[in-house]
Amino acid sequence: MLSELWRVALLGGVLAMDRSAGWNLMLGQPLVGACLAGAFLSPGTPWELWALRIPLGVGVLLQLLLTDPALPAAQRPRDAATAGVIGASIAVLSLERLHPFVPLTTGGILWVLVGTLSGLLAAVGGGWMELSLRARNERSARRAEELALEGKIGSFEALYWRGVARIFLRGATWSVAATVLGVALASLLLPRIAGLITGPRAGWIFAAILGVAFGAGFQTHVRAPRHGFRWAAIGALVTLLVLMRLHAGGEL
Amino acid sequence: MSDSDPLAAPAAPGPGAPGPAASAGAAVPGVRGIDLVRVESRALYIQALFSAERQQGPGFAFALLPVLRRVYTTAAERGRALARHMGFFGTHPVLSGIVLGVVARLEERRAQGLPVSELQIEQTKRALASPLAALGDPLFWVTLRPLAGLMGVLGMAVLPLADTAGPDLRVLVCPCLALLTYNAVAIRFRVAGVPRGYAMADDPGGLLRSLHLAELRRFFERVSALAFGALVALTLWPMVQSADPAHEGFAHKASVLAPFVLGSALTALLLRRWPGRSVEIAFAAALVALVLSSRF
Repeated sequence: MLSELWRVALLGGVLAMDRSAGWNLMLGQPLVGACLAGAFLSPGTPWELWALRIPLGVGVLLQLLLTDPALPAAQRPRDAATAGVIGASIAVLSLERLHPFVPLTTGGILWVLVGTLSGLLAAVGGGWMELSLRARNERSARRAEELALEGKIGSFEALYWRGVARIFLRGATWSVAATVLGVALASLLLPRIAGLITGPRAGWIFAAILGVAFGAGFQTHVRAPRHGFRWAAIGALVTLLVLMRLHAGGEL
Repeated sequence: MSDSDPLAAPAAPGPGAPGPAASAGAAVPGVRGIDLVRVESRALYIQALFSAERQQGPGFAFALLPVLRRVYTTAAERGRALARHMGFFGTHPVLSGIVLGVVARLEERRAQGLPVSELQIEQTKRALASPLAALGDPLFWVTLRPLAGLMGVLGMAVLPLADTAGPDLRVLVCPCLALLTYNAVAIRFRVAGVPRGYAMADDPGGLLRSLHLAELRRFFERVSALAFGALVALTLWPMVQSADPAHEGFAHKASVLAPFVLGSALTALLLRRWPGRSVEIAFAAALVALVLSSRF
């Protein structure tokens, strides 16, 4: 598991840099992070399909659930960047280890649920850690100002780069710690409740969370913009017409 | 890239005016293209020491350092200029290059001894940062970022499911769609920001108008709503089609679709009352669904 954790650390660190250092290249979005985690942690041939498909499901749900249409200052503190990596890593690593006890019910829905719920918890925990990092940043900024006034430009730069490294390390350690904790909890809990996890039950919970994700998406993409409802209705109608045409055996 | 054009506006009285070179009478090297490239690359780390008090202030100073190194000759001058930029600064990170470019030009002129005061540089910086944040945040954070994520999700709904023999290519295509949607717009502003700000330092109003940020936002808002409508149709269609494979009737179909429909409707209502609480709502929905699935 050590090599997998190194990969989780690297990924978590890079995505934290994207979110917190200022890259803002969208790498830190849950969908991208979860898919990258799936590709990085794929255990090989017997599990390859699930190791790719489950993170994709986790990423899609987290993307819709964790996209907040408010301005950053008005948002609740959530670390969406590492949430995708942690959720997908817990799902894939647990799937590989716990498969003898907990089978793949209804297309891996159970593991998508495990990954999504873990990712949501990780987003909340990561948000709290981000707040403590900012308090530390203020102390570093004061020190940086002192160094600048003393004309110690090299020391100022070194201090700044240490701030960049701190973001990477925070993302890496948080991703590894949360993944280890998640896999440990899953190993402890899931085999004990394996009898309760039926296909229909997992399906109900999955459908409810998918519904919540779409409700959150409605808030973000339709309610927030002006005339959003009108444009969404046009999009839905056009797509339905195309689908009906295809269903009737016609061609586009 | 040095320039000797006088500023259009007269210099405001302030500390440090005129610039250090005027008193020293020394020749000051102008800013080179490579300096602007360095500023641009450092702007990628503008939020590394982000705090509530100064926001991107330390990052702004860090990004501007290649220019300060070029135009100020002594460590003391560089240090003083660096410390001046360490105060509060907040704008959208993608658009920060524009302010950096303008300030690079003003610092260059100040170092050359032209009548540019510290106060004038600070005022120009703030006058640009605020409207760029007011226009950039709604465009990039509120509209384009959610749209990019949505395009990735839409990719999953549109692309066919992989067969069991091969890998699922959607895992590659969906994140790429999200990355391309966002960066097709953002990278343009990133790359052009510093040189554009440097070239248009004398016309901040024209600079802001030339970016067309409000128009871009309106366009992407519509695309976002359109794409979400398409996603709803693409998700509901197969759900409705496959909800009743044994033709047990409407009641069966409704019971299968109920968790999704109720979850969506209740979330839309609850988020109106408690915005940003989707995590809490998701856990509550999972719990309710677990309890209800045990009863039926």
